[in-house]
Amino acid sequence: MQTASTNRFDAIVIGSGISGGYAAKELTEKGLKVLMLDRGVMVEHSEGYDYEGKPAFEVPARNRMPEPLRDSDYFIAKHGYVAPSSRKFYNDDRLNPYAYDEGSKFYWIRPGAVGGKSLIWGRWSFRWAEEDFTANKREGIDGVWPIGYDDLAPWYSTVEKYIGVSGSRENLPYLPDSEFMPPMPMNVAEKWLKQRLESKFPGRKLINTRLSNITVDKPEQNRTKCQHRNQCGNGCSFGAYFSTQAVTLPAARATGRLTLQSDAVVTNLEYDSKAKRVTGVRYIDAKTGQAQVVNANLVFLCASAMGSVQVLMNSRAPGSEKSWFDNSGTLGRYVMDHIFRVGVSGEIPGMTDLIEYGRRPGGVYIPRFRNIGGEEGVGFKRGYGYQGSASRSPMPPVGFGAEMKHGMRKYAPWRFDMGAFGECLPYKDNRVSLHASKVDRFGVPLMKFDVTFRENELKMMADAKAQGEAMLKAAGLTNVTSGESEHVPGDAIHEMGGARMGADPRNSVLNGFSQAHDAPNLYITDGAQMASVSCVNPSLTFMALTARAADHAVKQMRA
Amino acid sequence: MIIDRRTALAGVAAMFGAGAFAPIARAAATAAQTKGAVIPGISEGPPSVAVFTPAQRALLTALSERVIPTTDTPGAIAAGVPQYIEKLLADWSYTKEREPVIAGLDAIDKRSMADFKVAGAKATAKQQDALLTLAMNGQIPGGKDWFEAFRQLVITGYYTSEIGITQEREYLPVPGEYNGAFPYSQVNKVYSS
Repeated sequence: MQTASTNRFDAIVIGSGISGGYAAKELTEKGLKVLMLDRGVMVEHSEGYDYEGKPAFEVPARNRMPEPLRDSDYFIAKHGYVAPSSRKFYNDDRLNPYAYDEGSKFYWIRPGAVGGKSLIWGRWSFRWAEEDFTANKREGIDGVWPIGYDDLAPWYSTVEKYIGVSGSRENLPYLPDSEFMPPMPMNVAEKWLKQRLESKFPGRKLINTRLSNITVDKPEQNRTKCQHRNQCGNGCSFGAYFSTQAVTLPAARATGRLTLQSDAVVTNLEYDSKAKRVTGVRYIDAKTGQAQVVNANLVFLCASAMGSVQVLMNSRAPGSEKSWFDNSGTLGRYVMDHIFRVGVSGEIPGMTDLIEYGRRPGGVYIPRFRNIGGEEGVGFKRGYGYQGSASRSPMPPVGFGAEMKHGMRKYAPWRFDMGAFGECLPYKDNRVSLHASKVDRFGVPLMKFDVTFRENELKMMADAKAQGEAMLKAAGLTNVTSGESEHVPGDAIHEMGGARMGADPRNSVLNGFSQAHDAPNLYITDGAQMASVSCVNPSLTFMALTARAADHAVKQMRA
Repeated sequence: MIIDRRTALAGVAAMFGAGAFAPIARAAATAAQTKGAVIPGISEGPPSVAVFTPAQRALLTALSERVIPTTDTPGAIAAGVPQYIEKLLADWSYTKEREPVIAGLDAIDKRSMADFKVAGAKATAKQQDALLTLAMNGQIPGGKDWFEAFRQLVITGYYTSEIGITQEREYLPVPGEYNGAFPYSQVNKVYSS
């Protein structure tokens, strides 16, 4: 495929999730003819949301995943993420497996539909702070960012105004404000907790969540504000939360320059090592098994952090084990995820004459307070934030019969539950590689994970547990308890790294514009590019980086 | 809105024409591998096997109704709880899940014969309540665990049924708004999630 004159497309975008969808919108709006490939099945906005708005009795198996099916086909996504109503959006782990050795368990939780994780994401949206970009350098940790907050701030603004982010202005040094729509309100118990927690712990904050659920209509995008169903994971015909289907796909289609191919499993990129250019994208149609190579002058690889790394690693000369894109020797290394599975909860006394009406997505957030601006001597680097909410549940069953039934008609007192998300440091030997002997049904070597959390992360979680308990107790909650369960990398579904940015091509895969050092016509704008992970949810940052990269790519093309 | 579906569905050969390149041998091998790569469905309709004997089914039905009886709203039988439990055990669970449920029913039946000289399903409501109380208090072999598990099956079946969601509780398909300080006095029924 060396004949550029036969190109049907100016650019190929691999993946249609948070990053890929955004890349397709940006590139088509800038005038490029774009082919977007996704390995998942087609899901159209609204008409593809099979169980949207349906109560349990209208969903197979009352919307409880049958255990044998969960164990046979969704064993990675079984930790509460996948249900019969949403399983079309998830990868089938039996058909598309991966590997790890005993002792380095990794949960690779993947989507299985066009739209990728944008259909099923948690939607919490935060800007990174300058602190997040500078910490590696300050602490002498391998992975100096070639960009800083100021490089990204205007792109954050553009993305936020476009997608819609609800939240409250707080002027916090660690958590820069976004361009906000009005926040999802706090309930009365959360307001009570905020006041008491903030007065007992000066400097710590409990704030409204920052969420990609919109609180003001966006008629220009045919989107209606959140209706408080809290069934986002089944798809939302109101378009109230950001997804490819609701936002970027319609925009890209409206240009008339987008071709979308679902069921297209990209196996590798073809490369001209003399010209240092990607010359083609090879994919297999999952329905027919037919392989194709398509070409374009520009490729955006947005197949999810680990998916993109897999494609890169599988792009190599015949007989070679070394990727075309690994002249730095860092491809597949410095893989990270947020560490979580520490929970703290307690009862909030009083206010039993009040309750919530409507089902609010999201909740409240306690931003990071540890080690901001430098190490505080707490025994670990970096920090964590908590996501939580206060609510009242129906009373649990007692005994049986009419008394039990009628007892369950009352609500229990207010409870507050929260969970910590902590930053994981980049470690060179936290890596992924292609399996030496096992290949998947498309002939691609399985991804093999060798990623573990280390002492810093585990100490951080112990602190999150202790501090969480201390805060809730001091605020006056009763029956405060905490729990910690197995910390498995990948479980937070914030896996990042593997093709990191850096100023030096000798120790990074991408430059500061998400552009491959080894191929100027290749951009990787998903989580793979991250040189560190902050402790805040990452998707908003991927979108800002994607918009910035698309701008750079088109300017370079036209220069 | 321009939806390029026809192109997308027309297949890659037509789509990319002469520009496409297909390594035939590899493609054929892959086609063979992708064949049979089917995501299983979830069984619907009546149970594919009879999990219970008629006597066990009759007892299960009677005890379900004792756990969630008809009061000012319909009870477990009207909500289809016995059918839900049999379907769950027939098609949505491992077969090993059936054994303890059946063993518990048999133990109740046996105790009913001993205490009341009548099969559990034929016992009076009061007698059935006494049997459930014995189980709940662990006074029937395996009773406590069985009671907890059985009660949970009934509760799940009931509160995920149409009656449970829309009559016993109140379902708001589209609340439209959120009020974080809504007067509890205005709540008529617990809201279904």
